[in-house]
Amino acid sequence: MNRRDFLTAGLSGAAAFSLSGLTRAVPRRFTEAIVDVTLVAESVTKATIDGELIPVWQFRDASGGGGPGALTSGLVVETGDTLSVTVQNNLDRAINFVIPGALTGTTAVDPGNSQLYSFPAPAAGSYFYTDGINGEIGRAMGLAGPLVVMPQGDPGRLYPGGPTFDRQYTLVLNELDDRLNTAIDTGQPYDMVDYEPNYFFVNGLSFPDTASDADTLVAMNQGEDVALRLINAGAITNPMHFHGYHVEVATRDRTPETVVVDKDTILVRLEECADVILPVTQAGAFPLHTHFVPGVTANGVYVNPVGGALIILSAT
Amino acid sequence: MSSRTFTYLGPNIASVDAVMSGSAVMADGTSLRSWRFGDGFNNDRTVPSPVIEAIEGQTVEVTLTSMMPHTIHFHGLDVNQANDGVGSTSGFVSQNPPGGGFGRVEGYTNLGSPFTYTFTAPHAGTYMYHCHVDTVLHLEMGMYGTVIVRPPDGSPTTAWESGPTFDREYVWHLHTFDSTWHFDQGPFISGPATVRHRPDFFLINGRDGVQTLYDPTTAITASAGEKVLIRATNVGYQPAVIQLGGLEFDVIASDGRPLRSTVQTDVQMIVPGERYDLLLTMPEGTDTQATVDYYDIRLGGILGTATTSVKAIIFADGFESGDTSRW
Repeated sequence: MNRRDFLTAGLSGAAAFSLSGLTRAVPRRFTEAIVDVTLVAESVTKATIDGELIPVWQFRDASGGGGPGALTSGLVVETGDTLSVTVQNNLDRAINFVIPGALTGTTAVDPGNSQLYSFPAPAAGSYFYTDGINGEIGRAMGLAGPLVVMPQGDPGRLYPGGPTFDRQYTLVLNELDDRLNTAIDTGQPYDMVDYEPNYFFVNGLSFPDTASDADTLVAMNQGEDVALRLINAGAITNPMHFHGYHVEVATRDRTPETVVVDKDTILVRLEECADVILPVTQAGAFPLHTHFVPGVTANGVYVNPVGGALIILSAT
Repeated sequence: MSSRTFTYLGPNIASVDAVMSGSAVMADGTSLRSWRFGDGFNNDRTVPSPVIEAIEGQTVEVTLTSMMPHTIHFHGLDVNQANDGVGSTSGFVSQNPPGGGFGRVEGYTNLGSPFTYTFTAPHAGTYMYHCHVDTVLHLEMGMYGTVIVRPPDGSPTTAWESGPTFDREYVWHLHTFDSTWHFDQGPFISGPATVRHRPDFFLINGRDGVQTLYDPTTAITASAGEKVLIRATNVGYQPAVIQLGGLEFDVIASDGRPLRSTVQTDVQMIVPGERYDLLLTMPEGTDTQATVDYYDIRLGGILGTATTSVKAIIFADGFESGDTSRW
């Protein structure tokens, strides 16, 4: 089995993220008011689109549920739910479990131990969870997953009274600098000031794998309004450019955007979640990608068949 | 005096060659190999590529002739797939069209045969065009320019139909060069050499250093009270922060659309791929410098700055035009 086949085989069994592409009636991922999940923090080997094998960190849903694309966890809950998250730390250093903008300053969990984090679902909107005690290294190593909070009883809106949509996708942005991963793997020091990434991902995938993944290929119909949740879980800012369409920026970090709304390029800042509504005004296949153009490459290569943080918007 | 401070192709009809010879000369004398479309910006420099103008609602035809694989992507103009200029999904000027690309439609020609991109000009405003083949290198080499869409009546002094008016108009392409990407001779660099971009030249409209300070396409001169529109586009790989020496200005539009409400400020960030339209009413007695600070993509610090002058025109008698209180 070559490296690409290894990657493909690793993906084929994964269930699609529960939100992707769904129309108005969004089924709940969990039917209980108490959402129990165990996340295993661990180091694994990631096969890049050009066949490199790089050690990364991940949160893996112990139930096998998975997140969007190649991400191994992701939570979809409703307002009013209580989250009960157990983190099993199989890494070589202490971490904790935080949600920027919603849950911070939590108890650390040492290597080999587990810790329960119990909290009420925050306000409706897009979030991500990560480690909060290793600076940006946790995010740069991939230790993050999306948290989507739907307004209870109103699944066709981003938040109560907010804009409506016909279908929605969760797009988690991150990247890696293989020099950091090597340093971490071999116990060498690394200063995040030196961070210059060379592989770039949406939902853990690079183009063209982004175009064959049900959670990451944005399939739409003309006339629909499609909600895209752009979540920056990495360690660089991401200026995301839409081909074919202007979008309406609905919220940034759950706060409604009211001035700079109609855009074809939007900055998704560090740790920021930007929810946009895309009115599908024409049919066709169009890229959505970072305009930090090194980010559409795989280690500098942007020639078929490899690339970076570029996905396809496909409207019929 | 014309309101424009730059030359342009159009309206609506333009024809450009992909040119892979020439160089951009920096203020310190460094000569950087560059590529471009057409005759270069303002007919007096290689980089950026020329401004193309169009009129909202009218049919635009831009013809590209190239002996090497290049495309034109009309950035922000929301053209259809066939005219989007992306190798894997749409029109492509190539000897061997790539097979199996996602949702690919017809629209390529063979090398050397002209290909005409056709679309309807969208909402009046500021857009870009650039090559989308091996984009990370072809953009850096200079294959980008600004597209200005005029309102339906074609007015060169109105931002959009029933929108703000202006007396003077500037296009500011914001970009940087990493000189190690511009080899003078031999093969083009690629692969790992084009992923970590470390700029050492910081530009507006292809000029840097003292060149930028008084370049007629960047240095802002207007009579006191005149309205100056700056169409800023960021085609580089770094976020940029624009300041007009502390002067307040109105941010009226971004990405070819009016803001939902005008923002008055003295600083505006613009990230790669974005456009902002800034409207300055020239204050009496202005004699200052505008700065464009380029930040690394982590927004951790300023990598370099381009500087240009902002001056209210003063006549030989020492009075400023428009300063009627002193006449």
